[in-house]
Amino acid sequence: MKLLKTCMVVYLSTLSFTSFGDVAVIVNPSNTSEISENDISRIFLGKNKSYANGNSVEPVNTKYGNGVRKEFEDKLIGKNKSQMKAYWSKLIFTGKGKPPKELSSDDEIIAFVATNPNAIGYISSEKVNDSVKVIK
Amino acid sequence: MKKTFICLATLSALTSSAAHADITFNGFASVVGGMTTSSKDQLYNFDDNLDFKQGSLFALQASSDLDNGLGVTLQLTAKGADDWDPEFKWAYVSYDASDEFRILAGRQRAPFYMYSDYLDVSYAYPWISPPKGVYNLIFDTFDGLGGIYTTSFGNVDATFHGIYGRNTDDIEAFSQQVKPDITDLTGLSSTFVYDWLTLRASYFVADVSIPLTDLQTLSAGWQQAGFNDIAQQTNIAEDDASFLEFGFQMHFDNLQIVGEYTNLDIDNSPLVEEESYYVMAGYQFDRILLHLTYGKDDNTISNYTSGVPYGIAPTLDFLKGTTEEIITNQISKENYLTFGVRYDFHDSAAVKFEYTDFENETDSSYDAGLFRMALVTVF
Repeated sequence: MKLLKTCMVVYLSTLSFTSFGDVAVIVNPSNTSEISENDISRIFLGKNKSYANGNSVEPVNTKYGNGVRKEFEDKLIGKNKSQMKAYWSKLIFTGKGKPPKELSSDDEIIAFVATNPNAIGYISSEKVNDSVKVIK
Repeated sequence: MKKTFICLATLSALTSSAAHADITFNGFASVVGGMTTSSKDQLYNFDDNLDFKQGSLFALQASSDLDNGLGVTLQLTAKGADDWDPEFKWAYVSYDASDEFRILAGRQRAPFYMYSDYLDVSYAYPWISPPKGVYNLIFDTFDGLGGIYTTSFGNVDATFHGIYGRNTDDIEAFSQQVKPDITDLTGLSSTFVYDWLTLRASYFVADVSIPLTDLQTLSAGWQQAGFNDIAQQTNIAEDDASFLEFGFQMHFDNLQIVGEYTNLDIDNSPLVEEESYYVMAGYQFDRILLHLTYGKDDNTISNYTSGVPYGIAPTLDFLKGTTEEIITNQISKENYLTFGVRYDFHDSAAVKFEYTDFENETDSSYDAGLFRMALVTVF
């Protein structure tokens, strides 16, 4: 069973390889909400604040540096680092919003997502394990 | 200044003792150098001596999330143009009644324009500062209440921002330091965003009083001469003002087109009705944005003394002459063309270069060429 899960994870991550390179978007295994690509983008832009079931989303960013965030923002959100910075400036300096909190490593993000039912994050796909669910 | 620090200190003491709330600091800055291209030219407070003060500013923001949807935000901005006197542009308590509805109480930016919310955050828009022809109201903040409602209609994200408040901040008008009283400032801005298209409209009304000595003296003269209506119109006292704005933004891959139109009218006052617009087109080449802006300002005067003929009495001639001069001095038709480059040389900073060719259609002696460069950042 565990093997099957691992296989599925491997299979899923190969799938995501085709669309988002090496990045996997992950949620807590208990999260059964339908989350489209557009939803993910809106969550990380602070536009969607809750899942379809009404629970508040808790997005978590990884720090810039290892390429995962850059790839996620380029491909899924469609903005480069300067554009993201400008986007959040507009919200931060009006008190209308603030960017998701940042954790510094894939391991920390996995741990955060595994323990928070409403969390959503993204990591390098090779780090995926069965404590989290890959949605993209 | 001293008060400011005490306020900040008290606030941080309050928040840290209350709920161990974290205080987040953010800031932004623009260092702007500018000079006109000829010794007779003056524009936006720049002359032909290279100046690094007029357009420069630094701002620091402290914000804290208390529990249960309550938050506090303070933004202190110091501008070279104000001799670096720091001023609170934002100082409010916010309450998130739901994911969609937020209430703000305290000092806030009035959402007059498309770029009002982040008016001084140059990093967030293409220009060094938004076109001054449109962005020229005498105040941009108010003290009062605001409500922001965000929702979506299918693929369209909508934001409605309503405000009610007052502003009594000192300003300089007609080369005089004066304390206007803008009361019952009430209005709504609506913004709709669909993928590549943003549409915005806002409408505000207020009662405006600007106690300018010259106008008050002149008004008293008309009063004494028995012309009550003219006397009242010469004063700017509790006059009904209205402000209308329309804006749009279009983004297609690397191309962006932005435009904004405004109309300001203060009834029963000697002030003219002002109409302004600009259109900007920009093209992004990787880290470089090239943009071109054309703007036009126009106004309409009403000579409300026209019912009084010249030659009845010397006092009346003097009153009429002076009043007409005040009215006609405000006539202005201006247009400008600004070419600019923004280069994002760093993830948190950009350099910008702009050249503005300004034309005063009624008096060419006010024509000017202005070159500006800026280093802008957010932190």
